[in-house]
Amino acid sequence: MRKGLVILASFIAVAAGVAVLLLKLAVHEKEQELKALHVQIKRDQEAIRVLEAEWAYKTSPSKLQDKSLRFLALMPPKPDQIILTPAVVPLRPTGEEVDSNVDVLLPERIRKKIEEATKGKSRHKSSREGKAL
Amino acid sequence: MTDITSFQFQSVDKNVSKMDVARLRLIWAIALFSLGFMVLIGRTLELGLADPVGAVRKTVATKSGRTVIAPVQMARADIVDRNGEILATNLETSSLAVDATMIKDPKGLARKLAEIIPDVPLATFEKRLSSGKKFVWLKRKLSPAQKWKVNALGEVGLKFEREEERIYPHGRLAAHVLGYVDVDGNGLAGLEHYFDDEMKAGSSQVDIGDRTLRTSLDIRVQFALADELSAAMRAHSAVGGAGLVMDVKSGEVIAMVSLPDYDPNDIRGISKEALFNRATKGVYELGSTFKTFTFAAALDEGVVTLNDGYDATKPLRISRFLIQDDHPKARYLSVPEIFTYSSNIGTAQMALDLGTERQQEFLNNIGLLQPAPIEITEVGAPMYPTNWRKVSTMTISYGHGIAVSPLQLATGISAMVNGGRLIPATLIHQTDGVREGKQVIKPSTSRQIRQLLRMVVKKGTGSKASAIGYRVGGKTGTAEKAAAGGYNEKLLISSFVGAFPMDDPQYVVFALLDEPKGIKETHGFRGGGWTAAPVVKNVILRASPILGIAPKEEDEGLYRQIAMKIHDDKKR
Repeated sequence: MRKGLVILASFIAVAAGVAVLLLKLAVHEKEQELKALHVQIKRDQEAIRVLEAEWAYKTSPSKLQDKSLRFLALMPPKPDQIILTPAVVPLRPTGEEVDSNVDVLLPERIRKKIEEATKGKSRHKSSREGKAL
Repeated sequence: MTDITSFQFQSVDKNVSKMDVARLRLIWAIALFSLGFMVLIGRTLELGLADPVGAVRKTVATKSGRTVIAPVQMARADIVDRNGEILATNLETSSLAVDATMIKDPKGLARKLAEIIPDVPLATFEKRLSSGKKFVWLKRKLSPAQKWKVNALGEVGLKFEREEERIYPHGRLAAHVLGYVDVDGNGLAGLEHYFDDEMKAGSSQVDIGDRTLRTSLDIRVQFALADELSAAMRAHSAVGGAGLVMDVKSGEVIAMVSLPDYDPNDIRGISKEALFNRATKGVYELGSTFKTFTFAAALDEGVVTLNDGYDATKPLRISRFLIQDDHPKARYLSVPEIFTYSSNIGTAQMALDLGTERQQEFLNNIGLLQPAPIEITEVGAPMYPTNWRKVSTMTISYGHGIAVSPLQLATGISAMVNGGRLIPATLIHQTDGVREGKQVIKPSTSRQIRQLLRMVVKKGTGSKASAIGYRVGGKTGTAEKAAAGGYNEKLLISSFVGAFPMDDPQYVVFALLDEPKGIKETHGFRGGGWTAAPVVKNVILRASPILGIAPKEEDEGLYRQIAMKIHDDKKR
């Protein structure tokens, strides 16, 4: 009886020791992983800084103007070409409006999907039903 | 025998007590060990059951359970514009140094290095490589390609040192605002100098928030202004130019340009002329733009009303000075006409009615007699006569005999149009957009000044600034440059200060050209109305969509009353 107890106790002790050792190794490994991740994140952050600076350099207004003059046939807008709200555009097609912004209309295919989904429930307005001012 | 037995007894007795002692000790030891294990078990349980986040928090900063890694610490904070666009940043770079004791063939290596790094002369490399010193810089801040090539040489004596380099991605744009740093990263001009301590890492000084300095500049507007101003400078062969765009409600400087400018990425061999900030350090006699202040003071004090007028039939003579008009009408002029046609004669008389003291006090009130308070160190002190005589009062009324910086003028004009609040100019982004200011004129006077400024563009000398739809108001200024013992009438400072939209002013735009020459397109004219006003107009046309000002049909009723007091001689 007593002998059994001793064996059991020593077995538990050894098992516990091994378990703690394994746990320690596992934690160590995780720590290494974490450290590696930190290093990786730092390196990425450095890279992001460089990329941000490069982006700022490449999108500098003078460079954009240069490119625009070279590749696009766009001119600065005249004051009479600027309108306050899209609602005053003549013959603007009506349609499904985006919930967050009433000035934005959903594209045709999404509108069709909605139309199909709501078929039978209510007749939808045609998108070509222009609104003249 | 008894002795023996007693001895035996004693020894047995002793044995028994020894066993007891041993057992007792053993129990103690077991108890201690058990206690120790209990503590360990307890601790293990505690760790096992504890909140893992809380435990981690002690070692790594976390935020709602996620590990947060401190951002890369650079030696200097970034500078960004109001929209977060990077204006100045620190990037890692390598510098090349050498341990000259390890170099066996200095000449051969010097030749190879000179091929890779052409901007250092061969002789310098040879001298440094054969110097025999343990540590000598060969080249600070290599480009990545150069570093790669030097590395490929495989020379053990060469060493790379990690350094940081200040990069200004937009180059010349806003150079005078940002300033520049030396090779060791100390700010030497502009914001870099003013906030040098705050920008350096580890400084416990004023917090500049998230380790970035957010300026009030908008780089897109800055470019529009710089582009237009340099185009005008080229067209009129001017020696310099200055420009400003300011938010009248917060005092934020949206754009500030001084020409000629420089590239802060490479500050070697730059002339003093290019480093000079004409917008803040340069002080100029700005001419007729100053009439705005004379009119504001006179209207605010009730010296004149818009219904009054002055005789401007012939030039005024006061001691040895002769005051005459650049755009003579030679008749009696109403107050709005004096402003619209920029009559010096009328303004000088108005200043006399206002009086020297009140004029001085007013100019002092709107900060024209002290250096402008702004977050860069290159600020010029205004120049004005120490002995403010009657003739000074008269000439200062139309902007001669007093020299102020463009920044001071723009700040003053902002106060004139924004309802009368003087808001000091700032280069730092204001989150709320509106700042309190000292009331310097009544809101009603400000309204009248707005009408007068609008009339100048609608009917008077500033018609070239009319950006259709944006309701621009403004005032031209043409001043002769001061020369030894008087004025040089061949050299002009031409300027235009505009504000828009005039029904609710948001921005003041100022443009100045130093010594513009007349060209065919301007019929040889080189005054502010011909040279600087178109710059302001173009800047407004380009910047308004960016700044969110929509073109609109004008409410003519705002100006009907005042327009009736202006008679156009040509139309009759």
